[in-house]
Amino acid sequence: MLRNKIERALRCAACLTVLTSSSLLWAQDADVTGVGNESPLYRGEQLLQTGSYAAAAEILQMTDGLDRADGLVGASRALVMMGNYQQAMVVLENEIDGENLADHPLLATQLAEVKRLVGESAEAIEILAEVIDGLAEPPVRTLVQYGSLLDFTGRNGEARLVLDQAVQRYNNGMVFASEDVGMVALASWLLGNFHDANSLFDEATRANPNNLEARTLWADLFMEKFNAADAERTYQEALDINSRYVPALVGVARVISDERAIQRALAINPNSVPAMETYGQMLMRAGQEDAAMEYFTQALALNPEAIKTLSFLAAQAALEERMADYDGYYQQVEAFSPGNPEFLGDVADAFGNNYRFTEAVEYARASIAADPEYWQGYTLLGSNLIRLGEEEEGKANLEIGFENDPFNVMTSNMLTVFDELETYETLESEHFKVHMSERDARILWPYLEPLLEESWTTLTAKYDFEPEGPVLIEVFERSEDFAVRSVGLPDIGPLVGICFGKVITLISPDTLNANWQEIVWHEFMHVITLQMTDNRMPRWLSEGISVWEEKEGRPYWGRDQGLDLVRAEREGKLIPVADLNSGFSGARTNADLSFAYFQSYLVVDYITQQYGFEKLVELVHQYAFIKEDSARFREVFDASLDEFDQGFRGWIDNRVAEIDVFVHTEDMPDEGTGHGHGVRENSSAILAELYNNASLKQHMRSRIEENARDFQAHLQLGIVLFKEENYQEAKMSLETAYDLLPSYTGYPSPPLVMAQIFQAEGNEEQRLEWLSVLLENQQHDEDSALILAEAALQGGNMERADYYIDRALQVDPYRTDVHRLKARYADAIGDSGLAVTEYEVLMNLDITDPVEARTDLAQAYLNNGQHSEARQNILFALEIAPSYRRAQEVLLESIDEAGN
Amino acid sequence: MKLRLINLTNSMPMLAAAGLLLSALSAYGQDADDNAAVERAPDYFLDTPQTNKYAVIMTGPTVGDENVSQFRQWAFSLHDILIRDYGYTSDGITLLYDDGSTDMPGGERIDGACDITGIEQGLSALAQQVETGDQVTLYLIGHGSGAEEEAKFNIVGPDVTGPEFARLLDPFAQQDVVIVNTTSASYGFSTALSSEGRVVISSTRSPSERYDPVFSRYFIEALDGRNGDRDKNNRVSMLEAFEYAKLSVNQFYEDQGRLASEHAGLDDNGDAMFALDPAVDGADGRLAEIAYIDTMENDTAGLDEQGLSLKARMQELEREIFILRGRKADYLEADYWQRLEALLVDLARTTGRFNDYVTQ
Repeated sequence: MLRNKIERALRCAACLTVLTSSSLLWAQDADVTGVGNESPLYRGEQLLQTGSYAAAAEILQMTDGLDRADGLVGASRALVMMGNYQQAMVVLENEIDGENLADHPLLATQLAEVKRLVGESAEAIEILAEVIDGLAEPPVRTLVQYGSLLDFTGRNGEARLVLDQAVQRYNNGMVFASEDVGMVALASWLLGNFHDANSLFDEATRANPNNLEARTLWADLFMEKFNAADAERTYQEALDINSRYVPALVGVARVISDERAIQRALAINPNSVPAMETYGQMLMRAGQEDAAMEYFTQALALNPEAIKTLSFLAAQAALEERMADYDGYYQQVEAFSPGNPEFLGDVADAFGNNYRFTEAVEYARASIAADPEYWQGYTLLGSNLIRLGEEEEGKANLEIGFENDPFNVMTSNMLTVFDELETYETLESEHFKVHMSERDARILWPYLEPLLEESWTTLTAKYDFEPEGPVLIEVFERSEDFAVRSVGLPDIGPLVGICFGKVITLISPDTLNANWQEIVWHEFMHVITLQMTDNRMPRWLSEGISVWEEKEGRPYWGRDQGLDLVRAEREGKLIPVADLNSGFSGARTNADLSFAYFQSYLVVDYITQQYGFEKLVELVHQYAFIKEDSARFREVFDASLDEFDQGFRGWIDNRVAEIDVFVHTEDMPDEGTGHGHGVRENSSAILAELYNNASLKQHMRSRIEENARDFQAHLQLGIVLFKEENYQEAKMSLETAYDLLPSYTGYPSPPLVMAQIFQAEGNEEQRLEWLSVLLENQQHDEDSALILAEAALQGGNMERADYYIDRALQVDPYRTDVHRLKARYADAIGDSGLAVTEYEVLMNLDITDPVEARTDLAQAYLNNGQHSEARQNILFALEIAPSYRRAQEVLLESIDEAGN
Repeated sequence: MKLRLINLTNSMPMLAAAGLLLSALSAYGQDADDNAAVERAPDYFLDTPQTNKYAVIMTGPTVGDENVSQFRQWAFSLHDILIRDYGYTSDGITLLYDDGSTDMPGGERIDGACDITGIEQGLSALAQQVETGDQVTLYLIGHGSGAEEEAKFNIVGPDVTGPEFARLLDPFAQQDVVIVNTTSASYGFSTALSSEGRVVISSTRSPSERYDPVFSRYFIEALDGRNGDRDKNNRVSMLEAFEYAKLSVNQFYEDQGRLASEHAGLDDNGDAMFALDPAVDGADGRLAEIAYIDTMENDTAGLDEQGLSLKARMQELEREIFILRGRKADYLEADYWQRLEALLVDLARTTGRFNDYVTQ
């Protein structure tokens, strides 16, 4: 199990730890021959400590006498830090000069460490074996490096014995130096004793706060256990001591995907294999495959045993079903590290990250078979089983992982969510199984169930595909639980729902400020497209279809980002269709992510309008097969990707021309949450704070003079005029804005302000008219929906009342006033069953007046012929309020009815 | 400290007294001890139709348009609600507001400044007005500050500490006193006001809770239109208002997705240990349950023998229900509900007959 942890350790193993610190500037300018009485060793270590590697390498080679061995080890490490591996070996080999290696244990150990860095693990093992065989008490570092190499090469049993020797020496009180304690910590880590390792790293860094190697290894341990916060902090502590310390720079880059840190690492050490691996993966995630491959190739040229690179490339090959290539990588690893479980675990992880959970489970099982003590394998297996809906087996595997590696934050997080789920209720409809909190089961379920079944009926018929069911849906009250259940960690960014194919995770509408029904519809569409293609859908197409189906589901759902489109087109920010996935993976802001969703939707809209819906379905089916995108597009559209893209751009040009509004460069994109399901607010509030009314009016008027189709200028001018109660002019501006862009979905919008003006003027009819216009394009304004529902109910228009009440429920099903209105609606149309539903919900919502809520519910039961329930509830009410006359009357009525 | 015996002839028929009796019975646990238990109960908050109720609303200064507007709205609303829904007269309410300026819409409600002189004068005048057994409720709105020992109510001029304020209440030894302290950092100040026979409500229950609370908003909402009338007897007790406000505050923070920065507490047994969940069968809550905002109506006036008989039967049934409810744990669940239903049906029918009789 221990093998490739060594890779992490290696990145630090060539680093010297010294005691002093001084400024980099000072170090670089220093006279390398020494100052005063300071020895070359002392001066060299100072320079190494501060990152002045060239100077350090030079002066440390000048050491002599008793300092000679330490000096040359330091020089070699300094050279390693700059990526000069050959010279790092030469300085050592020249000194050893063919003599017995056991006579030069420090030099030989460093030599072995460098050889390992360049992929010569077999030679490294021979060197270390000779040192250990020739000494009664080999250095702790030699033992640990030897043990880690044995483990790396599949000799687990031998590795354990050697590493135990190092730990035993510490237990016997024979290890004092910070560097050696750090090595014992590494030995403990490799032995799977993670808590011991943590304590020992702590001890090592307390003994010598400048021990960069121990500090960075400690951070690596945190990183392996998915404890990103402590990892980042600890890497940063190392960088505070030496800002040019390459292993820590690489570590920071891994934690927070910091491109600058990785570029800095490569500037210092252009041959750093971990830096190349990290950068390659970052580039791959950003869709820059060619650039990424260059780094991977370079990494393998430098170190043919770069196992992270090999596992990454193998995973890519397996994902693309290039199994011959996969086998090639696998055999390559087997040659130097037979039965390596982490290689298989990395492949499993890659499949999981690409939504290929079935394969992820297979590889995770294989990793465990290779080494039953590879605890991360159980976490991978458990987490991917959960995403397939296999909760019981998933949990069992997570528990094995946790029992043996409680340090793993991902494992413990997921098990904690299982504990939370035990308090949840499970509800089932014909095609769905839903886990949700007791509160949601009482309040949300009555509205979720019909929506789910409607989405099933509508979308399965439309795509002529029936997914494997029941589909498991988990609705989490805490966004942290949602994130952990989805990805194992508590931060998932702006996402509010995730579909894994057979499983959907959602944030409860109780925690969300968005249209939860649109989200459910969107996610269920993913179930269909993912299952149609065995989870091989590219993200852009899956998201594009899901967003497109939002608007098909309800005309006021979906996205209308007209201003964003005009802006993106003008700024050349539209992404070629072939690269659309990078719009998601490379999004740096919520606005970027939101636009990636929108452009994906536009491509789908283009396909359906230009080629027809059936072509869209054909394209989806194409993704069930392994082939190039160009072949898929040729097959379906009889066009190359470029030709398709050109057609799309032409269509976009027409669309932009139709929108025909001017977008000023000073306007920020209307802020929307990245998932796009929330309210998008314009900058009116910020402008109001920055400017007084007069200057804002003047500015907006000048903008309108410059370009009469400046939508935002008309809107903002209208808002200011409204605030000044200049209603006539405000109306003119707002009507102009509305005419320019009727589909504007930002907030506040022209119709909203128009409605407010008419309210101020006391013109209720016009107010309601504009509110209804508002709701044609604004799906998150439940207050307006409620006003319209109340008016419709009072006016006896039951159809509209029902419609607007539903609109309000789509945004916030937890408001008592919505349910009171719906209960009134139910009473008005004589639907006693619906009334019962509403009063049951109100019973759970109305916390301040339980007697009234119970009495209402009892009355509803009575009206619906449910005498027993009526009696039970009215007794609850009267227990609190025995003299409440209305409840008394319901009690007597329920008794009379039961008697009849 | 007051040690008066309860007036059984006046209070026994009253619903409120039944509540007190119930709590006493619950504590002692047997019918045979009824009278002894009642005699041991102190006679606070007797709540007869003859009891007069007074309110003093003290609103300290603040800064910022939003705070000024909010404090004013709370103070004026409270003033108007007490008059509109609870039968208080303007003379029965003393509103001490900021610097006492009346130059604002609704300023005619203001009786003086919320400074030490205004408070002393206001309370002194009230002390001349009240009679033994009357109820005085003090509502504190505004900011508070300081650590536990030195906690202060921020008023115009030098702030007043808890012990200083407590001394100002000394003249009301023969009255039932309720203090509703809704200021920030109210806890330390409130503990100094704790005393046997006194109901003290604090919007915070820890010195660390020092942000402006929203408790006041919901406490007033509980009073408004008798929203807090949980048991539907058309009256709002301090316990009911507290409960309503507490639940609403919790909901407020949940809706906001924020951790609650305030936890209201109530003390009515004089130990200065504020209960977060006061209840009639708990350490705190017994007095608060019978400390009503309004004055009891005499609903037996004008009744003849038949009317009085029906009324007496209703009161007897209510009493039996309270006793049964207090012993819920002593019964098997099904048995409890069966007994309760029988009593409730009897009460419902008797009430119906009484109502028919009254409307004839």
